[in-house]
Amino acid sequence: MPFVMPAIGRRRFVQGLLVGGVASSLALPAWASGSDGGAALSGTEFDLEIAGLPVNYTGKRRIATAVNGRVPAPTLRFREGDTVTLRVHNKLDEMTSVHWHGLIVPAEMDGVPGISFGGIAPGETFTYCFPIRQSGTFWYHAHTLAEQTGLFGAIVIEPRERQVRRPDRDYVVMLSDWTDEPPLQVFLNLKKQSNYYNFGQPTVGDFVKDAGEIGLAAAIKKRQMWNASRMNPTDYSDVSAATYTYLLNGTTAAGNWTGVASPGERVRLRFVGAGTATFFDVRIPGLPLTIVATDGQDVEPVTVDEFRIAPGETYDVEFTMPDAKPYTIFAQSMDRTGFARGTIAPSPGMTGPIPALDQRPWLEPIDMMGAMAAMAGGHTGHGMMEMPPLAKHARTEYGANNDMRVDYPRTNLDDPGAGLRGRPWRVLSYADLKSPNGDPDPREPERDIELHLTGNMERFIWSLDGIKLNDSKPLHFRPNERLRVTFVNDTMMSHPMHLHGMWSDLEDAAGMFQVRKHTIVVQPAQRLSFRVTADAMGRWAFHCHLLYHMAAGMFREVVVA
Amino acid sequence: MSTTTNIVVLAAIASLAAAFPAAAQEASPAPKEDHSGMDMSGDMQGMDMPAAPTKMEMGGMQGGKAPADARNSDDYSDGYRNSTLPNYEMADQISIPKVLVDELEFASGNEGQGIGWSVLVTNGTDSNKLWLRSQGLKNSKEERLDPESSAEALWWHSTGPYWGTLVGVRQDIGKGATTWLAAGVEGLAPYWFDVQLTGYVGSDGRLAARAKLSYEALLTNRLILTPQVEANVYSKQSLDRELGSGFSNVELSARMRYEVSRKFAPYIGYVWERALGGTADFRRSRGEGPGEHRFVAGLRLWW
Repeated sequence: MPFVMPAIGRRRFVQGLLVGGVASSLALPAWASGSDGGAALSGTEFDLEIAGLPVNYTGKRRIATAVNGRVPAPTLRFREGDTVTLRVHNKLDEMTSVHWHGLIVPAEMDGVPGISFGGIAPGETFTYCFPIRQSGTFWYHAHTLAEQTGLFGAIVIEPRERQVRRPDRDYVVMLSDWTDEPPLQVFLNLKKQSNYYNFGQPTVGDFVKDAGEIGLAAAIKKRQMWNASRMNPTDYSDVSAATYTYLLNGTTAAGNWTGVASPGERVRLRFVGAGTATFFDVRIPGLPLTIVATDGQDVEPVTVDEFRIAPGETYDVEFTMPDAKPYTIFAQSMDRTGFARGTIAPSPGMTGPIPALDQRPWLEPIDMMGAMAAMAGGHTGHGMMEMPPLAKHARTEYGANNDMRVDYPRTNLDDPGAGLRGRPWRVLSYADLKSPNGDPDPREPERDIELHLTGNMERFIWSLDGIKLNDSKPLHFRPNERLRVTFVNDTMMSHPMHLHGMWSDLEDAAGMFQVRKHTIVVQPAQRLSFRVTADAMGRWAFHCHLLYHMAAGMFREVVVA
Repeated sequence: MSTTTNIVVLAAIASLAAAFPAAAQEASPAPKEDHSGMDMSGDMQGMDMPAAPTKMEMGGMQGGKAPADARNSDDYSDGYRNSTLPNYEMADQISIPKVLVDELEFASGNEGQGIGWSVLVTNGTDSNKLWLRSQGLKNSKEERLDPESSAEALWWHSTGPYWGTLVGVRQDIGKGATTWLAAGVEGLAPYWFDVQLTGYVGSDGRLAARAKLSYEALLTNRLILTPQVEANVYSKQSLDRELGSGFSNVELSARMRYEVSRKFAPYIGYVWERALGGTADFRRSRGEGPGEHRFVAGLRLWW
């Protein structure tokens, strides 16, 4: 094991309580009450009441933020073409908000405090009203720290016209992370000691072990790059199972949310990455998974055994139930400290084998040096590569907010990311995701905005181009222009970047349209680009969907005017 | 005599001052090679040596000065300003108070028993903080205070991703206390060494400097060994504090803590200290040896 923790305590951390969750329904496991872990609401008029709710996931009673008494919030079912009205009543004693993640809505309906509107004050009601112009799997969540305390739920939008083959079973699978600590405390802990939750750092013992296995010189050399630059090769996640209990549809691993499916039935699972600070690596051992949509957008079906889902992303996955056995949905955190788990089985109460957590591997040289490491004959073995374009750093990246810059980032979208390389099975990468109908706006981008993802790990400062939100000026998009945004990730963490109000049309390394998304993960030392059609007037948020990175400043405002 | 030691101390302070540029230099080493005119094939050849890119690139990846043609991120705004609606996300600007009781310990050694402390209270933003720093040792024998016992109030200013400068005052504690102006540098050096270097100008005209260097070795992720070295130097002697001129002492210590939680860690340790020069003479004159060693047991706390 990569870290030491008493066995019982660790088991508790990883799996949570057997019947953890909403305290008021302790007697009844969440899956027993319905297919979406509880409630689903449908129609065109909704009343959503946001209030505190006692929960217990770890043995300690805490107050979560619930919608209509539900954590996660009820699934909202809309129909494309309808206009929906949602009256959100704030029964908390603090300001709150609801953001409709991935929905194309008017700017004042987007739910970002300070940008779309002034937030919803305690005791007040805000009425959202907007037309539904899309279909697929989306979600909604607080655009405040209450996202960590449970204010999130799924949105499933039925297409109005298209004839679609309906699966026999259709389940939402929300993956999230719960902490008994108040989210502000988590943020302050990280600001005061950025490795606060990382109990998987390299130790003296690891060094001695390495020296024995690969020799002293090699063991020193392996560490030299990281230590010389004061970088931590195990820095996958800011927050780990040291405080997190990972949940699937609001249920702990021990609670085992179960979706029922009989042999021969076609099953669709709508995965929602509702982690606040957690990427999940998902697989269902024994079942090949066909990815049919991401971020609510159909993709050319691609069958894999495992995929990584970032905070903000959604993936629709289909498979045919092969037999009457139980199959485990296993979603381990990217830092390998814990997992969420559920089961697909012919009847409730069945359990399949649970895979062991993987070891946490070190980040690799290409996660720090990008193309330079790849060309120096690193792990990728691509042979002769073209010289990648030189990143153009901003002046403000040379200050105290940014600890590193990558001159030659890698452009390999076919990389599933650190921890998933070299798997003996098929793992999804962004190169596999292709929109079936080509570029929705085939105009060539008129201009290019290069934006670098920057940070100071040691001080937990996060920024874009080295500038934190409140020191920044907005990005100006001209009405209806087609433009290209190029990201270069100068940090050693993956960042799921989410542009509100407009689609992000991901390009391949050659600059050709590939897939439409709303949340795009940029891996460490990677460059990628996406196209935007600036057809949504107003002010929009554009940020890293890791909540604590967003809070620390990795956030820009976009003005379409 | 005092002239020569003044020179020694000035040299020490000069080397300390040189650490400013060193730290700054680490944040801004030699101007980066101009890639624009570089022959890429030559560059690629360099890549063939596996160790070369690591070494070569490290210099360029951190620190440095922005080239003249660096992008200006504000240019994307075309003059627009951020929204002024209420409840804007402001968490990147908050002042965060932190109290770190790095050492609070019971000590027992060849010079008796005592209580030692090293405390740092900070409050401020990512760029500027107030630092209140205190260290000391009180020996139960004759209620004597270690001559380095002091408290400082400093303004910390971030100068780079890993470094900050300190300017403020130091007040000695105990008999013969002097008030000093203080200026220094602190940060995290490559290979994770914590560095604190401070120079002082006393109200009595003395100059002084203090250097601290420490490292955290993770025996496990909760069992952490912290070796530390501290040295102090003074330009003139102080009879009241029994400090000679020149290097007054050097202290080597190792503390091993167990982090029950990040914020609560009991520890044990061993401290070896030796007085030098005139300071050693003072100790001999009161019948003690110049060396002192003690076992310590204490708590490291922060919140």
